[in-house]
Amino acid sequence: MEPVTAQVIAKDKVGEWIEQLMAEAEVIAPVLAHGGDEVFAAIRSPGQVLWEFTNPLHPPKQFLLPQTDPVVAIRRGSNRYELEAIVDERRRILLNVRSCDVTGLVFLQRMHTADLPDDTYVRRAAAVTVVCLACSQPCPLGFCICSAAGPFAREGYDVQLSDLGDRLLAEVGSERGGELLAAAGGLFRPASPEELARRHELEEQAKQMFGEQTCHFGSAMRRVSTGRVAEDLWARMADWCLECGACNFVCPTCYCFSVKDRHESDGWVRCRTWDSCQYAAFTREASGHNPREERGDRIKRRFFHKVSAQYYQRDGMVGCVGCGRCIEVCLGTTDMPAVVAAIRKGEWHG
Amino acid sequence: MRREGQLTPVTWGEALDAAVSALSGLRRGGKAIGVFGSARATNEENYLVARLARGALETGDLDSCLRNTYWPLARGIARGSGGRAPFGSLTDVEGSEVVIVFDGDLACSHPRAAFAVMRAVAQGAHLVTISCKRTQLARLAALHVAVAPGREQDVVAGLIASVVEAGGAEGGAEGVPEGWAREALAESAEELREAGQWYVQAERVSLLVAPEIVIGNSAEALGTAIGLLGRASGHLGRPGSVLLPLPVRWNLRGACEMGIAPDMLPGGRLLDDTAALGRLAEAWGREPAAAAGRDAAGMIDPVAGLVVVADDPPSVLRDGRAARERVAGLDCLVVLDAFMTATAAAAHVVLPVASHAENEGTCTSADGRVQRVRACTSPPGSARPGWQVLAELSARLGLPSDFGSAAAVLDEIRRVVAGYEGLDERALDESWGAVIPPQGDARPVESSPRFREAPRASGDASHLLALDGVFDWGSDPLVAQAPTLSRDSLSRRKLFAGGLVEMSSEDAKALGVRPGWPVRIKSRHGEVTLPVVVCQEVEPGLVLVPFAFREQVSDVLGGDDVVAVQVTRPAG
Amino acid sequence: MDSLFLPQVARILDVRDETPDTKTFRVVLRDRAAQDGFEFQPGQFVELSVFGYGEAPFCIASSPTRSECLEFTVRRAGQLTDALHRLGPGDEIGLRGPCGNGFDVAAAAGRDLLFVGGGIGLPPLRGLIWNVLDQRERFGHVTILYGARTPADLVYKDELKLWAERSDVEFLVTVDRAAPGWDGIVGMVPVLFDRIELRPSTSLVYVCGPPVMISFVIQDLLMRGFPEEAIISTLERMMQCGVGKCNHCAIGHRYVCRDGPVFSYSQIKELVE
Repeated sequence: MEPVTAQVIAKDKVGEWIEQLMAEAEVIAPVLAHGGDEVFAAIRSPGQVLWEFTNPLHPPKQFLLPQTDPVVAIRRGSNRYELEAIVDERRRILLNVRSCDVTGLVFLQRMHTADLPDDTYVRRAAAVTVVCLACSQPCPLGFCICSAAGPFAREGYDVQLSDLGDRLLAEVGSERGGELLAAAGGLFRPASPEELARRHELEEQAKQMFGEQTCHFGSAMRRVSTGRVAEDLWARMADWCLECGACNFVCPTCYCFSVKDRHESDGWVRCRTWDSCQYAAFTREASGHNPREERGDRIKRRFFHKVSAQYYQRDGMVGCVGCGRCIEVCLGTTDMPAVVAAIRKGEWHG
Repeated sequence: MRREGQLTPVTWGEALDAAVSALSGLRRGGKAIGVFGSARATNEENYLVARLARGALETGDLDSCLRNTYWPLARGIARGSGGRAPFGSLTDVEGSEVVIVFDGDLACSHPRAAFAVMRAVAQGAHLVTISCKRTQLARLAALHVAVAPGREQDVVAGLIASVVEAGGAEGGAEGVPEGWAREALAESAEELREAGQWYVQAERVSLLVAPEIVIGNSAEALGTAIGLLGRASGHLGRPGSVLLPLPVRWNLRGACEMGIAPDMLPGGRLLDDTAALGRLAEAWGREPAAAAGRDAAGMIDPVAGLVVVADDPPSVLRDGRAARERVAGLDCLVVLDAFMTATAAAAHVVLPVASHAENEGTCTSADGRVQRVRACTSPPGSARPGWQVLAELSARLGLPSDFGSAAAVLDEIRRVVAGYEGLDERALDESWGAVIPPQGDARPVESSPRFREAPRASGDASHLLALDGVFDWGSDPLVAQAPTLSRDSLSRRKLFAGGLVEMSSEDAKALGVRPGWPVRIKSRHGEVTLPVVVCQEVEPGLVLVPFAFREQVSDVLGGDDVVAVQVTRPAG
Repeated sequence: MDSLFLPQVARILDVRDETPDTKTFRVVLRDRAAQDGFEFQPGQFVELSVFGYGEAPFCIASSPTRSECLEFTVRRAGQLTDALHRLGPGDEIGLRGPCGNGFDVAAAAGRDLLFVGGGIGLPPLRGLIWNVLDQRERFGHVTILYGARTPADLVYKDELKLWAERSDVEFLVTVDRAAPGWDGIVGMVPVLFDRIELRPSTSLVYVCGPPVMISFVIQDLLMRGFPEEAIISTLERMMQCGVGKCNHCAIGHRYVCRDGPVFSYSQIKELVE
């Protein structure tokens, strides 16, 4: 997609721009935590923002869908209860979000606006501005190109930055993005045709660097959707899964949750809490019956949700953005590329 | 604190006064006070617990609920290996060519270790699993050795024999009691010979021991034998090789090493170790109480008072029922915890302390890495850091305890706890922790480790009944907070309020029972009738009871973990 | 847009014992206007909050034709239902809904209707039955078959009598095991099929009960020539949000709380998991 308008900012002016952003919203960016981990966190100064980084292990979904998300306040009065929806419309700017994570946010937005819109999510998301930092090269574990989720984002960003050396190109992806740049008081100037050409060149070069594609969703999707994966294959794969749930927690497109009331002094706060479809009791009913008693059934569920045609048609996009985080965290060996390869070949070697 | 039967909020001052006054009263009256440390507490907290017990309260009745699932085994391994184990890291396991696992079900009880084993297998390692269940790891193994609980010693002996026969290390048989291994070799199966050969030929080997191995065994004797196996092959001490017992819970190793034991000083030193006693005396300003005390199960009844830090004996101890009854009837129960457990709910004084996410301190991993624990959030309400509360309690009980920070406690730990002297401050912060080397243990193994007589099925008593697991994860306070994680154990308790037994489908078929049908289980101690759950992993001849339902079979087990039983269909 | 998670407050009007472990609660929304405006289809469910214990899904057991209040028949099965059973008239609970798809009452117009209920499976059907009976002329033959384990386990005992007495309804009840004083039919629900005239080509059949019972009944109906699309049942799954977001009740890409809980047998067969 040809950017409608593109601007450029000199790198030595970026700090000033971020100061401006911090004055109007909570700015969340990748920073270095103690011990050298990359994490997304609210910044206290522009100097904390990382520009050379791979990607934090935890995606930015936590800022739109917190791990523990209070949704209803239940107050116990003298002889009656009062209930109130909890709204979070805090202004947030997510800065330097990689294209895979931007696509993840697009996915989550679709989930929460489709069918019955989730007001809690929608209102929080409406107050969030997304500034993407495009990738000039693949990250070690990423396969975003297989999900059409990178290395440059196609949609879902308000502004997309790309690194042109001593300056950043900023593409506008939405009205809000345009306003953001316009409000920067002259720090940005329109991009030249050469600069635009360079940006496209960077994208092509980055795509070429992926080399051999690692995750072929197409044929896997056909098999998963038509029940052509042997039960025995799921069972054998499941022996290599420790049902820790880590894949669900770091996945930008996972959003399953449970609801729990947390006790307060004057009542309760009903919270939505992250959950994992890999846990045995995810589907256990009050009677004790569990339609997914075997771990193989649960692994099958995860990959049906991520990779099936049925969900692809429902959601308009595949449920994986190729960020590679599940490869990094899996305590077993059942990450997305490994399972997709097993589905395609009908073989699993652990 | 408890006022007129109800736990009532009070100030810290009132609560501490009440605790100190009650405990002092018991001491003046010559009544015994027991102290519980915990795998859920940091090293600093556990060290101060040991200090409170042996320094302020001057008692040896000091233990944690889970120590006996780990420490005797670890000490046996230390001894049998000539002081060169526990050794190696879980990362080393990933690079091993041969991995031997005495498995309980590591995939459930220690996923981090299971992860390392899986990595090793994925890269071509030979995996040998030894257990009474066909566990998840067993399904990935090149060789699975089925063994009845209590009979693991035979497999160890057989492995030692085959290792020695296959050449072992130069002098590898050193330390193995004369004749012991040779007798075992005569009886051992072909499959163990093969395993022994793999073991000897490999450059890097790992030997992992799950906590469930203590079921039906004298843990120290079995540990000694495993230590001998490690020594016999000659791999110990070689980079990349591993011999590790695995603790069933977070900081169990640290708790034990900080001295939470009735028969040891901090640092794993014997009670008559004058050098260790001297260091403690110098640090504490008084002689530590060096008498051997009673262990967790043994102290519950005789004591009049208990100080329990971050644990819940009725939910965790093997004899939960006795603990529950006794805890309700104590003269004085003081509990320090972040969670309102059943024990805290029965206390006379509850002192709220920070959880592990709100705490500064250190913990010691299974492979001996001491790591920092940092507060990522503040404790709620008026909860305080545990080390602070323990220091205050000790001071008020007459033992000056001037610690300004968790770091100050760590400084003292460095001065007095063997193995923790050389803790590199930078390593604590920057890498994955500072490693504690094996402590050395020069005690020779004079004769065959003295094994408990393992129960054998015979005649009518054709099955073995054993506990499955050494810990009920459903009882963990964090698990109880999570809706999905707690649903399995809640559901099981609801559906099988009276308990259940697990048996193989072969046994169920032979008995003519279907899932859910009752079976009568009778031992020489007593009998019980319980519903059956068919479990693919259980070997024929074995009937297992999940640890959560241990009380329902206590009449049949009669104080043992494993017993021979007759299993029949009840009439009518 | 309102929060998907925000319940309304409702008051319990009264509680009736149905069986030793089952009670029917009559409930009204505290906001009168909201109660008057509460529209639903039989077969839909709500999420009831017992404050301090959480939320759980319960089918609406009353008909939209009698909507001065809402009725729920609840078996005591766990912590939340236990707590609910301890509540009484005047106590407040939370109510969120209606959720799910409900029975398609319009599609039943002009058809012969066969209701087959087992034990605690009658409550989801009861709302539809009274909806049909309150508009009796819209529908063809109406047959109600109901069975429970023992006479004490029969729910809506007074209403069963009303159905038995009506001349425009064919009603048969059976129990698996008789008890002293029972002089009715003994046997599992399928034994009732031989005692009535079945109309496979014109009927819609609604089956609710324990999974095993549903399975046997549906196999029986298929053998007797009922088309798959004409057999309608309800599915149950563990639920948390009840509005299609949390994924607990997903079967393939279908959600029991949105695409169900009412499904035809042909739809059930298509469900991919």
